[in-house]
Amino acid sequence: MSNRPRSKLIHLLISKSIAEALLVAAIAIGFYFATSNPDLRGVLDVANAETVNGWAVDEARPWTRVEVQLFIDNEFVADKNAAEFRPDVHSAKRAEDDWHGFIFETPPLPAGEHEARVYALLPNAAGSRRTLQLIGKPFRFLIEPKQTRLGLPQEKGGTR
Amino acid sequence: MSSMEYLKPEDSQAVGDVIGNRALAGWEIASVVSSIFIAEWLASVAVDWMRIAVVVPIGLAFVLSISSHHLRGETLRDLGFRLDNFLRAAGLLTLPMIVTAIVCLAIGWWTGERIDFLRWHISRPLAVQLILGFAWGFVQQYMLQSLVNRRAQIVWGRGWLSVLVVAAIFAGLHLPNPALTVATFVGGVIWAAVYQRAPNIFALAISHSLMTWIVVSTVPASALHHLRIGLKYFGSN
Repeated sequence: MSNRPRSKLIHLLISKSIAEALLVAAIAIGFYFATSNPDLRGVLDVANAETVNGWAVDEARPWTRVEVQLFIDNEFVADKNAAEFRPDVHSAKRAEDDWHGFIFETPPLPAGEHEARVYALLPNAAGSRRTLQLIGKPFRFLIEPKQTRLGLPQEKGGTR
Repeated sequence: MSSMEYLKPEDSQAVGDVIGNRALAGWEIASVVSSIFIAEWLASVAVDWMRIAVVVPIGLAFVLSISSHHLRGETLRDLGFRLDNFLRAAGLLTLPMIVTAIVCLAIGWWTGERIDFLRWHISRPLAVQLILGFAWGFVQQYMLQSLVNRRAQIVWGRGWLSVLVVAAIFAGLHLPNPALTVATFVGGVIWAAVYQRAPNIFALAISHSLMTWIVVSTVPASALHHLRIGLKYFGSN
């Protein structure tokens, strides 16, 4: 193989590599925008032995209610729309009305430290796929032995 | 000023001197393999309308392959698009195919799998499926043999080393499906070895279609996992 066609082949290989690098970057960016909502705002305010609450707003569509899911210690607990009364979110100009809060009742948990996470559910346009996007930050909370609602005398070795 | 001469970008002679023929052939193999990996692992699982992106790496692989043949002065006959050695290639393929078919039947019998030669595609006549299998095998064998095998022979020479490299690449492209990876490694060794002795893409494509039919009909469907490869192996659709 002489130098001239070899040179052309090298240029082709370099061009192809650049084109594929751009493609991979475009797919990564497309994937990010297809599976997450950059306009989603929200905070997980409180998690304790009684409730887990906060608020969530889709700023691109502030009149809609965001569907949220509660996970405690990575286990699914409950699903609901963020449609509870939160006038503070409205007065802070984060929403167009007062109804973007969520309140979950904390399920019975054993004593000790737990972690609550609330995710917004994001369906794709075709409805064939749903992804979860974390709202705010995970909230770690402690359940004291006297607060446990398991209904069993743990230290006496009872059974449920 | 040092004595080092810098290459002028517009000087194609100098650019061609930068890399040797073996390194260039290795680069071609790596480039084609990377395109297929991008298609399998990234583009084919891109969300929604972005799935169309799969045509880009596959298209680029073909552009590179065809351009490479042209620039290297390879003819269709060199690549294996010929009929004069068809019977020789078919003869070389016959024994390994019979042995492989017997092994597949034994696997089916040993695992208790119901052997069904009509289950390749339940809603399509077998003859149509075999023709489609031939077409798909033709494309794969072209890329695997006419490009990868020929370039592997430039890098490692003709013989078992280049045959094993081609088979390993073919098997690697079927990851993470374990049954298919093993099957394609065996098939890759047979097809690459036969191509080096009698380069004929038509015979290899027929063999590809027939062996796929045998494997699908005998090896447990649960092991083949619907022939899924790449990131799709882990998905449900």
